[in-house]
Amino acid sequence: MAALATGCSSSSSTAAGSSGAGNSGNAAGKTVDFIGYGDTNQWAAYFNGVFEKKLKAADVKLKDLTTMDAGTAVQNFNQAIADKPDLIVTALLDTKSMAVPIAKAKQAGVPVLVFDGRPDPKVDGDVLQVVSDNVALGKAAADNIIEGLKAQGRNSGNVVVVTGTASSLVTQDRMQGFSAEMATAPRYKVIETQDGNWDPTLSGQIATQLLAKHSCDGIQAAYGMADYMALPVIASAKQAGCAVGGKNGLIVTSSNCFKAGIDAIKQGTLYGTATEDPGTIANQTAAYVLKYLSGQNPPRKQTVKEERITAANVDQYAVQCSHA
Amino acid sequence: MSTVQTPLDTADTATGGPRRAAAWSDAVAALALVALLVLGAATHRFYTFDNLRAVLTSASLVGIAALGLTLIVIAGTSVSLAISETASVCAMVFLATQSWGLVPSLLVTLAAGAAITALQGLAVGYGEANPIVLSIAAGFALVGVATWVTGGTSVAPHGAGYIHLNATPGGIASSVYVLVAFTVLLELLLRRSGFGRTLYLTGANRRAATAAGLAVGRTITIAWLLAGALFAVAASFSGAFNTTANINLGGTLTFDAIAAVLAGGTPIAGGSGSAVRTLCGAVLIAALSDVLLLRGYSTGAQVMVKGLIVLAIVVVVHLRSRQGAR
Repeated sequence: MAALATGCSSSSSTAAGSSGAGNSGNAAGKTVDFIGYGDTNQWAAYFNGVFEKKLKAADVKLKDLTTMDAGTAVQNFNQAIADKPDLIVTALLDTKSMAVPIAKAKQAGVPVLVFDGRPDPKVDGDVLQVVSDNVALGKAAADNIIEGLKAQGRNSGNVVVVTGTASSLVTQDRMQGFSAEMATAPRYKVIETQDGNWDPTLSGQIATQLLAKHSCDGIQAAYGMADYMALPVIASAKQAGCAVGGKNGLIVTSSNCFKAGIDAIKQGTLYGTATEDPGTIANQTAAYVLKYLSGQNPPRKQTVKEERITAANVDQYAVQCSHA
Repeated sequence: MSTVQTPLDTADTATGGPRRAAAWSDAVAALALVALLVLGAATHRFYTFDNLRAVLTSASLVGIAALGLTLIVIAGTSVSLAISETASVCAMVFLATQSWGLVPSLLVTLAAGAAITALQGLAVGYGEANPIVLSIAAGFALVGVATWVTGGTSVAPHGAGYIHLNATPGGIASSVYVLVAFTVLLELLLRRSGFGRTLYLTGANRRAATAAGLAVGRTITIAWLLAGALFAVAASFSGAFNTTANINLGGTLTFDAIAAVLAGGTPIAGGSGSAVRTLCGAVLIAALSDVLLLRGYSTGAQVMVKGLIVLAIVVVVHLRSRQGAR
């Protein structure tokens, strides 16, 4: 698993600290306040299970402050600062609202590790990071679309995109990678980008309306930003009487692989997806935490390597993507 | 928008509260409709079969859930704020039981939705519990139980019976036919049955209905039970459409259903309203969202317009009806 060191280790008093857990060489007995996503989210439920199991196996004392509410996450973060644990591990439900608490942690000398989505640029240098490569995920989606349309022998085509929450950095990074890659094949044109807010029902509704607006002949490919958003797009296309997949049908792609997405690729309705699976990032985050707590001073930022998945290699990722 | 004469309308009081509310809501709805038709005429592809089909499909799931909510509102028991959570749980039940076959799965799902909501109806009907507080608590409980049972993971179907719900006979989604059928059935139930008359009278004045010896507690409980069954129907279609379900599947269904009921002109105070009004409200909101999307407005703009419509109706229509009742 590739790890990119994008910063130098610092000995200054930052929220990330240097090797704030000291140099005992053992993570056992160290304390971690965990402000991850709540278990009501399917991705988070598996992440939390893997992450907590790994840390508890190393006798790390974990305080569970997980939530799916952005406001509660800020409160929990402030509480965690008061606890003065050896490390705060946090996901960012709202990037901007967490910037101030992260700055407070820096002042208090409590190190912070952000996982999954990257932090607000204002505090980017103040935290340790194990983040998904969202630019790569967007690029993979574009590659799937370009490859799929080429395989159909199309010299032109219109593409629609149903994104995650448009204001989030995760979505913006994916769109950056997606747009840059689509620009390499200008004969395929992105004609609509709509905010699906990570909501499967809304994504299906948007797809239904877009297919009515442009008709089956007017859309050749669609990008739903997660498998659970792409599947309703496929259902919408079928209800509208549009062919999906195959030699002439709609090419649908996604990211954030899930079991249902893998099944859809095998059925030929979903052209492709990409990883960002919870198990891989949970294992990498847990490994990072244990290294940090045992004083090994890992690189301040690690980026999880993401993989593109299509029918050609779906079996290779079927297990990895079937936990949520 | 058609005005449906309810039993309460015919027995309206001298204050004219419900009738005045209906007149104001019709005026607002008519205004929105005219604006929509004009905007639609100036919008490319709005008046096409494909687009009409898309509008009806978008309206169908929200519409079915909103029909259930209509019963709760007419009963004078405000609204349920646990529709999304109930629908999510029902969709999970529907997909989890696919290995039993489509019909048994549907029956179990309906029973689950009816039971979950009827329990709340019992507390509201017999215990006079606050429906808002109760349904918020019920929503939290449902999230907790569902997360505990599934470990937070999505439920995927083991069986393909659910695919039949995604069928499009005559090119129209089957959920649209179901919406129309339930609208007719519910309208008949409200207008032609003793339950319907009791429901209107209970919603208009619960104390008077109790004093008159009407079975208020039972009526409210049945209204909530039927509402839960309709939430389950919407959930079954949603589960079939999305292929997987978890506790977040319900999304904004609670707000969407409330918006459809209010946009149709059913007053939040209860004692009036109809299924046909709710159908019109659901279609009106879906059409407005659609025309905004056709004209290139973002999802955020669509949500804002939906919110403004609800706000306008609540502020203008329902406050006006309160003035009339004084």
